[in-house]
Amino acid sequence: MIKLENVTKVYKGDVVALRDATVDIAKGEFVFLVGASGSGKSTFIRLLNREEVPESGTIYMAGKDIGALGSWKVPYLRRNIGYIFQDFKLLRKKTVYENVAFALEVIGKPRHVVRKQVPAILELVGLSSKIENFPDQLSGGEQQRVSIARAFVNRPLILLADEPTGNLDPQTSVGIMRLLDRINRTGTTVVMATHDRGIVDTMRRRVIELDGGSIVRDQARGVYE
Amino acid sequence: MAISPVYAIRETAQNLWRNILLTSATIITIGVSLWLFGGFFLFNYAVGNATARWEGGIEFVVWMNADGTPEQDAAIRTALDESPEIKDWDYVDQDGAFEEFKDLFADTPELIATVSPEILPPSYRVVPADPDADVVRELADQFKGRPGVRSVVSADETIRAIQKQADKIGIVFFIGSVILLGAATLLILTNIVSAIKSRGEEIEIMKVVGATNWFIRIPFMIEGLAQAVFGALGAWGGLWALDKWVISGFNDTDSLALLDGFKVSDSEFTQTSLMILGIAVLVSVIGSAVAVTRYLDA
Ligand SMILES: Nc1ncnc2c1ncn2[C@@H]1O[C@H](COP(=O)(O)OP(=O)(O)OP(=O)(O)O)[C@@H](O)[C@H]1O
Ligand SMILES: [Mg+2]
Repeated sequence: MIKLENVTKVYKGDVVALRDATVDIAKGEFVFLVGASGSGKSTFIRLLNREEVPESGTIYMAGKDIGALGSWKVPYLRRNIGYIFQDFKLLRKKTVYENVAFALEVIGKPRHVVRKQVPAILELVGLSSKIENFPDQLSGGEQQRVSIARAFVNRPLILLADEPTGNLDPQTSVGIMRLLDRINRTGTTVVMATHDRGIVDTMRRRVIELDGGSIVRDQARGVYE
Repeated sequence: MAISPVYAIRETAQNLWRNILLTSATIITIGVSLWLFGGFFLFNYAVGNATARWEGGIEFVVWMNADGTPEQDAAIRTALDESPEIKDWDYVDQDGAFEEFKDLFADTPELIATVSPEILPPSYRVVPADPDADVVRELADQFKGRPGVRSVVSADETIRAIQKQADKIGIVFFIGSVILLGAATLLILTNIVSAIKSRGEEIEIMKVVGATNWFIRIPFMIEGLAQAVFGALGAWGGLWALDKWVISGFNDTDSLALLDGFKVSDSEFTQTSLMILGIAVLVSVIGSAVAVTRYLDA
């Protein structure tokens, strides 16, 4: 599903954010990216979304070399990739429903599809009763659920999450992880960057550790350290 | 993948409303510049129509009676040919007069229907050697009251002034309106850039969920277009008023014979209207294309 071959990413100023990374992630896997701050986790994730382009190496998503995609095709790649931010990035002037619907509207989904899928996904994330609330009226955990609903409403094959629990307390984080686990069990591949030792250690999923841009560990059913 | 019209209209209205002051400034500037631009054309058309008779150095016209005799005609011709002060002259017969009449009153076929060539006066269009106003008036007076002559009309100061100044006034109008159009383009650009900036988060989300570049751009481009079209509508109203009250007003004055035809035909007005609409669209496309490519796609 996701394959990196000798991928190197260098930012301006000669910062090597990812060095010669080779990884193969199968469909339906759940992968934690761990490592110190600045080790390259976010860069790894942004490369998969083609927000960044590597200096060398090849990235395959669902069998396609995404480096070879014309820039006009990138949006279509992203429709198959859900993206969850640490800071939720909800639109403050839109309700829960509108925030989720927005993700479908802007990729041109017809209205009857929006009206069917949005309530269904909000049900899945457990927010059916808060459909008309604005983000300000929700707890952090609830906001993150909305953001997950938005990322997943189009049923992407892959979910990328960059420290989704970074702004949440441990208890709320557990709820979010349950949700991501459930989504993963539907066959969705999940790649999640995190600093949260507790989560990694309890979930016992594949762990890829980065250090200064290099992959120093790739462990099935791994732990944080 | 179609962009839904409801979505596009809602986004455009929100964008325009968000920055209502800048939007108003933009629309007013576009309106005024297009009005000046269109006014320049209407004015040129009107001057052209009014002075068509006075082109090619013709300074006065000797109108004959419609029922004059060949002898009277011959006498005038001899006088014209023998005068050393007259460089050239041209005879417009009754059919020619009818053609001119039809051109002049093309908008009012009712009037044309009441006229036939026999009742229209033939005329001599005279080009004097010296176009000085006093010389011309003296020369023209020599033909007044001759047998068969109905009247003598000279291109008086008004027409001369109009002819002489028309080009200068036109150029001032033209340059002014082009500068204003440039300013309008910059305002459209500014307005769209500010809309893009104020919607940074939305645009980020749109990109992340896979909205196409066109989908993201279109509301902003429509926004530019909407401003231009509103401006063009305002300009169109202004041109209509200009035509109705200012240009047509000339036809009510005493100098009827001279300023006859200082007016704009319907087809000329339509042409001018379409032209300003076209320019509005062009200006908005340029402004929004620059805004979108510089600030959105990066
Ligand atoms: N846009 C950028 N331009 C230049 N350098 C960058 C850019 N983004 C990241 N970097 C650098 O690349 C390296 C890796 O950054 P990255 O954000 O991938 O780390 P991270 O593992 O996500 O860190 P954190 O845990 O703090 O989020 C760092 O040295 C960082 O300073
Ligand atoms: Mg990071």
